[in-house]
Amino acid sequence: MTSYSKEVLGDLAAGKLPWPQTRRIMSAYKDDDRFFKMVAVYQDRVAWKDPILLPVSDHLFICQSGDKRITRCECGHSFGDYRKNWKLKAAIIVRNTEEALREIYPNSDIPDPQWMEIREFICPECGTMHEVEAAAPGYPIVHDFEPDLEGFYREWLGNPL
Amino acid sequence: MLDKPASALRLRERLLDSERLMEETGCYDGITELTLRNQDPLKFETLHTKLRAYCVSAREMARRISASPGVREVGEMVVAIYTPEGDAIALSNGIMVHVHTMSRFIKWMIKNNYEENPKIREGDIFANNDAFIGTVQVPDVMDVVPIFHEGTLVGWAGAVCHELEAGGITPGGDVCLAQERFTEGLFVCAEKIGENDEIRRDYVIRCERNLRMPIYWVLDEKAKVASCIDMRESVKQLISEIGLDYWMKVSKEFIEEGRRAQLARTRQLTVPGIYRGHTFYGHVTAGKPGFQLLGDPDWLYNIPIEMEITTDGKITMDFEGTQPWGYHSMNCTPAGMDGGMFVTLTQHMNFEGLVNDGAWMATELKLPHGTWTNPDNEMVATATSWALLLPAYGVFQRLLSRGFVARGFVEEAFVGQVNSPMIEMGGESQYGTPFGMAHFECAAAGSGALAIADGLDTAYVGWNPESDMGNIEVWEQSMPMVYIGRSIVPNSGGAGKYRGGCSFVSTWLISKTSHLRLHTSEHSSRVFDNGGMCGGYPAPTCQKHRAVRNSNIHELAAKGEPLAHAPGIDPHVSDYEKNIGGEHVVVEGPYITSPHKSGDIFSHSYNGGGGYGDVLERDPIKTAWDVENGYLTREAAIQVFGIVLKDDAHGYPLADIDATVERRAAMRRERLAKAIPVSDWIDAERSRVEKADFAPEVKKMYASAIKLSSRFTKDFSEFWTVDAKSIFMPGAKP
Repeated sequence: MTSYSKEVLGDLAAGKLPWPQTRRIMSAYKDDDRFFKMVAVYQDRVAWKDPILLPVSDHLFICQSGDKRITRCECGHSFGDYRKNWKLKAAIIVRNTEEALREIYPNSDIPDPQWMEIREFICPECGTMHEVEAAAPGYPIVHDFEPDLEGFYREWLGNPL
Repeated sequence: MLDKPASALRLRERLLDSERLMEETGCYDGITELTLRNQDPLKFETLHTKLRAYCVSAREMARRISASPGVREVGEMVVAIYTPEGDAIALSNGIMVHVHTMSRFIKWMIKNNYEENPKIREGDIFANNDAFIGTVQVPDVMDVVPIFHEGTLVGWAGAVCHELEAGGITPGGDVCLAQERFTEGLFVCAEKIGENDEIRRDYVIRCERNLRMPIYWVLDEKAKVASCIDMRESVKQLISEIGLDYWMKVSKEFIEEGRRAQLARTRQLTVPGIYRGHTFYGHVTAGKPGFQLLGDPDWLYNIPIEMEITTDGKITMDFEGTQPWGYHSMNCTPAGMDGGMFVTLTQHMNFEGLVNDGAWMATELKLPHGTWTNPDNEMVATATSWALLLPAYGVFQRLLSRGFVARGFVEEAFVGQVNSPMIEMGGESQYGTPFGMAHFECAAAGSGALAIADGLDTAYVGWNPESDMGNIEVWEQSMPMVYIGRSIVPNSGGAGKYRGGCSFVSTWLISKTSHLRLHTSEHSSRVFDNGGMCGGYPAPTCQKHRAVRNSNIHELAAKGEPLAHAPGIDPHVSDYEKNIGGEHVVVEGPYITSPHKSGDIFSHSYNGGGGYGDVLERDPIKTAWDVENGYLTREAAIQVFGIVLKDDAHGYPLADIDATVERRAAMRRERLAKAIPVSDWIDAERSRVEKADFAPEVKKMYASAIKLSSRFTKDFSEFWTVDAKSIFMPGAKP
């Protein structure tokens, strides 16, 4: 069975693994022990102790915090119950003018701000940009991901929560 | 008896029986046990590998028969082998989107009783390019031939080429001016076009009389038929070795195995749950010549997708809330939607094991009736389905990637494909003859970023995983234009920790013609039709067209003056305007205008991919390399990424790490100072929503979505705590 060390997976996640090695991992049979090893990699990366249950973005994790399961930023900021849309607890910058769009696209044609805006969802504590939405004005904020956490641990990992 | 089916049942009955068995058992054709695989797994795998080799070899052979640079250079072809009921057993590489659309074509003929009339006999050749029967758009012409073994129908061999000219209202095949099917081009609707392995002369004459460049279509037909015959003969030989009974069983077990492999792969790589995303497309045609006023000229399309992965591994994609079909060329049929799903799965999940129609059977598409995904009017045009299909399946790629990230397989996460604005042309060639052609260099856009690396530059499109822009010299042989530039578009990859792949721009001098019609499609310049992921930005919108009529380029060249080879990096004034005299034109949306002639200049940009991760985490060293090599401007490096560059002794950019750290800390502080709580923004924005204070196209988009979808209406109303219907459809019944 294919398996990689935690160090190799840590480098992979950090984009530090040499490309030929990365390419081999991409082409090889997948390692069935990946999930828990990768969770361990992330657990080492964060300063807090709550056990990570699921990574959901580059710096966002669902974790067990006491008897609650919450979405937490790598910096430790809590976005509350993991079943709720974390974006509603984030800070936001909306780019809906030519000037604001031009800041990100200085040398290109840009969309019509009457038709489209950019929404940047930011951790209010550390300022990390967790997600960017490009949407028509008035479009409801999307709830990206509602994992079936219980089903995942019970039926796919064989390790009920 | 040449048309005797394999069992006592007629083909149609056998197909219905197979569907019933699937319904009852949940397994393909009722195969609950992979008996042959379990008996001799090595033989099982070897046979499938042989079938795949037959397909790959037949396609490569056929590409050398084709006259079209699309097929020869760019590989716009795929072939596959099917069961008698029309389910794909094995396929080649290439434009795999059509493997399942051909399946629909075969099933359509069976269900429409082709056994009775026009009959299915050994040596017959059937062709189709009707998307409501089974393809994506008119230029995707498919040919299938039945495979008989000692008088018994034992399967089908099929091949598809994308034709460079389809005889529509404008030259090429992605006919953006088509507003109904009647202007899309030459339709071949599940037609028997040949017998005894020979294409009928009257069919060839019809092609010759109705196409601008029949040599492409007709030689591609010959290439496809040759590949089908090649596969057919290989399968017949195989059956003589393994026996008919074994073939009939094993070919179906391959598909059931493919279905199980897809479910297993989903369980292995993702996390069950609900995934959501959306994208948009802006169709701008107001004031453009040739468009009939059959509806509003400008449209904003929303494409929301909800994907569910259940714990059994099934993936369901639901398009509820999207827009209605329209009098434009971007509608898609369920066949095209299936094809998009299939080609995406083959790239992201089926990279090992048996790849066939089984993968498609492990998924489900929910395509709301009346929308562009499933029009309730079969007169609609689908000539540029890809305009909406590509953004939609780009969302699918991001949704899947969210699952890969969550599961820890970061190396598989990919921000996705982008649209491929295509240029097509016709008129008088450089040889003084009539011609027509789609330029397929668009088959090499920038890809979305990965979760661990930058996207591929000029090297990926979702619809042809073997992406290739083709050689300049080959394209120049086929059109009255010569390249004066083909270069990377700086900043065309979406910004992020890992940037999207960059695109390229071509600049041509029109040459040796007095009448060149140039048209483009899939051109969403007013909104982003791609996205970023995990904090990455979308790639820029489709860039506007820039052309110079009656240019003084020959005079400049004679004097040895500098020319312009690309639009440059000033979005307000292009390098063409700075360096070249003449009538400068900037066009948004599809390029539909009066013919060009020798001495004019035309440029066309392709799209880059979206970014991944927070820009403030981008590697400064990589950024210096990007700037040095023209992938990024200095302006963007400091302004977007917060990376301070200085010059080394030779004037090359060098990252100033200390200054970058300082600048980024300041940018982070600026972000925090500028950002407001989302709840505050919602409260402030609600009054705008209540007043429907939006551009007319935005209001129309909401009204259309609300009319078609109670779920969209409910979600919108609950999010803003408003009554969406009364705002956007005042006077409508509650």
